[in-house]
Amino acid sequence: MVKETFIHDKHVALGAKMVDFAGWHMPVQYSSIIEEHKNVRENVGIFDVSHMGEVFVSGFDAAAFLNSLVPQNILELDYSKAVYCQLPKENGGLIDDLIIYRLGILEYMIICNASRVDEDLNRLVNHSRGFDVKIYDRSHEFSLFAVQGPKADELMRKMGLTTHQNSFTICPAVIGGVKLLASRSGYTGEDGYELLVKNEHAEYLWDEILKQGKEFNIMPIGLGARDTLRLEAGLHLYGNDLDENTTPVEAGLSWSIPKDKHADYVGKDVIMGQIANGVEKKLIGLKMLDKSIARHEYEVYFKGEKVGTVTSGAPSPMLGANIALAYVKNNKEICTGSIVQVMIREKLHDAEVVKRPFIEKRNKVRL
Amino acid sequence: MSITEKILCSKSHEFLLDNGDNTYTVGLTDYAVEQLGDIVFLELPEEGTEYKKGDTFATVESVKAASEIYMPVSGKVIAVNTSAADSPEILNEDCFEKGWLVKIELTGNEAEQADLLDYEDYKEEIE
Repeated sequence: MVKETFIHDKHVALGAKMVDFAGWHMPVQYSSIIEEHKNVRENVGIFDVSHMGEVFVSGFDAAAFLNSLVPQNILELDYSKAVYCQLPKENGGLIDDLIIYRLGILEYMIICNASRVDEDLNRLVNHSRGFDVKIYDRSHEFSLFAVQGPKADELMRKMGLTTHQNSFTICPAVIGGVKLLASRSGYTGEDGYELLVKNEHAEYLWDEILKQGKEFNIMPIGLGARDTLRLEAGLHLYGNDLDENTTPVEAGLSWSIPKDKHADYVGKDVIMGQIANGVEKKLIGLKMLDKSIARHEYEVYFKGEKVGTVTSGAPSPMLGANIALAYVKNNKEICTGSIVQVMIREKLHDAEVVKRPFIEKRNKVRL
Repeated sequence: MSITEKILCSKSHEFLLDNGDNTYTVGLTDYAVEQLGDIVFLELPEEGTEYKKGDTFATVESVKAASEIYMPVSGKVIAVNTSAADSPEILNEDCFEKGWLVKIELTGNEAEQADLLDYEDYKEEIE
């Protein structure tokens, strides 16, 4: 059965076009994907991302347990901080990508992709033998709203946020009179917050943010613009750009992996081996040189040879060009500035290899 | 008489308009355009190309996806709306008049139009 978030009826009332996504009936757009996208870059937008999973891990061994599952160093994760992580299999392929928050001395929260909650839980539970940990899937208790854009901070302050949070930190807060957890993070490349709220307050908070956000030109934003925003920001989407056959090194995520982590973790041999010895495929950014749009699964050619596959592609409303992510053979000649071709409806179209992110990110907040 | 009173629509959301001079205009219905959302790319055929009813003759891309457009009848392309190809967003503004796709001469028989619906019936069908 398709699931609905606690504010499903609000989306319908706002005139959203609804689609099935990862088992949930979600808004893909309210007005226009391009308009919504630009509003997040210029003003502020609110996203209902309540479909995402929240898994809590607590207990005496919580840190060591998580540390044995992800390449990132969870032992060094300070209280109230968050870290972007991957959940690898033994062969280095990814079960999911996650944000792990440290909520307490012995308590962590994992935000996972809606489509992967069950797989993540399986891995966690099966791996927990010998660890003093308790694993709770609390996804059904919470709604999650992302408030993103250059005016997000001002709006949250107007609504009662008093703490000054660096990016990737989480704090209890009262916003619009509602008790919640506010994380300074997002999936758009903009500054902003993700607000975790008990379901019973979700409707009220959603309405209140839209109401209070009017003076900042707030708009509700659907999954369509969420996808184009994350793509412009060069952020991976699990299921498109990450999967069980792709390692974080191949995905260009080596920056997120400490090279000096002492503890063992699932997939460490493969991942550290790839960091040391290189990989056979790599993720590149593409900018189409004509008006054509590269899409998921289109083939990529270089000098007449098929070298890879597009994993995500869409128009970039800010660049006025069409952009894509693709995996290609790790050939040194395919580098920033090279021209490759994408096969679109049986014709080859030129694309330039460009750096990721495609636009300058503005979400680095240091106070 | 408004344009929606003159067109015939296919179940795959193309419209056919008899121009009264042995030529016909083919385009996408307002329902199709609304479902697609922002139209960002349009690939149209060359003039002179001949298609059978049901052939893919053009591709339309929204932000999210590419969709094929099918010939509602058999015909030879005699004109292409290059301004729609240059500014595909005009389909979102006005798919019936400014946002037409191609003009054709029929190469098939009248019977090919039997499964096309007038606009009222089409609207009922898609609801």
